[in-house]
Amino acid sequence: MIYSILGILIGIFAIILSFLRFKEGKMSGGMLAFWLGVWIIVIWISLYPESTTFLANMIGIGRGLDLALILGLIGCYYLIFKMYTMIENIEIQITKIVREIALQREYSQKEEKEKKSLK
Amino acid sequence: MKINIKSLQDIDPSKNRFKNNHKQISRSKNVISHNLGKVDKSFFEGLDLDVYVVVPAYNENKTIKNVLKGLEAKNLPIILVDDGSDDDTYRIVKSFFDKSYPKGYIYRHVLNRGLGASLKTGIEAALRKNPDIIVTFDADGQHDPEDVIKVCTPIMNGEADIVIGKRDFNDMPVTKKLGNYIMNSITWIFYGIHVHDSQSGLRAFNRKAGESLNTKSRGYGISSEIIREIKRNNLKLQQVPIKTIYTEYSLSKGTNTQVGLKILFKMIMDIFR
Repeated sequence: MIYSILGILIGIFAIILSFLRFKEGKMSGGMLAFWLGVWIIVIWISLYPESTTFLANMIGIGRGLDLALILGLIGCYYLIFKMYTMIENIEIQITKIVREIALQREYSQKEEKEKKSLK
Repeated sequence: MKINIKSLQDIDPSKNRFKNNHKQISRSKNVISHNLGKVDKSFFEGLDLDVYVVVPAYNENKTIKNVLKGLEAKNLPIILVDDGSDDDTYRIVKSFFDKSYPKGYIYRHVLNRGLGASLKTGIEAALRKNPDIIVTFDADGQHDPEDVIKVCTPIMNGEADIVIGKRDFNDMPVTKKLGNYIMNSITWIFYGIHVHDSQSGLRAFNRKAGESLNTKSRGYGISSEIIREIKRNNLKLQQVPIKTIYTEYSLSKGTNTQVGLKILFKMIMDIFR
């Protein structure tokens, strides 16, 4: 089957990429473990598509593919939420920097005069 | 300008009722009676009180000068936070302070970060100057500078840690009115405290309240967040009626439906964080 070969190739490729990013220090150990898990599952499912049916039946969903789609969707939502919090954190940090700069560069007539008199 | 005589008696130093701050009102009665003659300019002058007015401004070049002129009459230190304005707000304020107002301080955000961020910067700047009272005052010209006295009085009397000026909703156009009612309800649902005007920009904090504020919201959500802080920190709240000056300009600013929805979304997301 083409899709199983594709799945395995993509999985292996992604795992290599993850390791490279980890080596460069762009990815934390926790994130590496998470992505390794994800891609190993992808390879596993490509090799043994029937195993999803077994899982699906266990949970009560008819077909294995449905289960994969549902999990994928949940995963996407999780990632979106994760990104939202990350962006939010970055915004908070930017605000902190902007505030600190503003506080350090206080301007008042008095201080300006003092500065001029020092010159 | 009329000052409620009762309120002046209330700040009589002999009663020593100003408990919330380290500094006591120290001048004698003479000063207060002196104030009665010249109340307009020097309500705060005779009192040994440091009241800082925080004015957050973003692209307010049309109104900012009049707002500052109005506050100048109160002769209080002004902390102006320019929130990365694209127009010449900063230049106008700077030249006004340079020419005629030595008690003005400017803090400039290099990027626009929103009302909440500006207020926080302003309050933090004020706190570094050891204030007794911090007042927040909108830059769009909707507040009457006289009302600064009204929001400060309960704090001076030791009756409140935080005072919110409530606008008369009957003066508002229907859409604004509805928006404000909804925001009051949302604030109530989320933070469990009902106030008459959760979105009002005219507030006063004593130092304790100012120091205890822990707000994260960068935009208009700050107003509701301040209400939350009242409950979290067990602050004493008073609400006093204030005047609102509605112009076409001030109506176009502030909380509209879109902003309201944004605030709601933020509040929901903050629960999950």
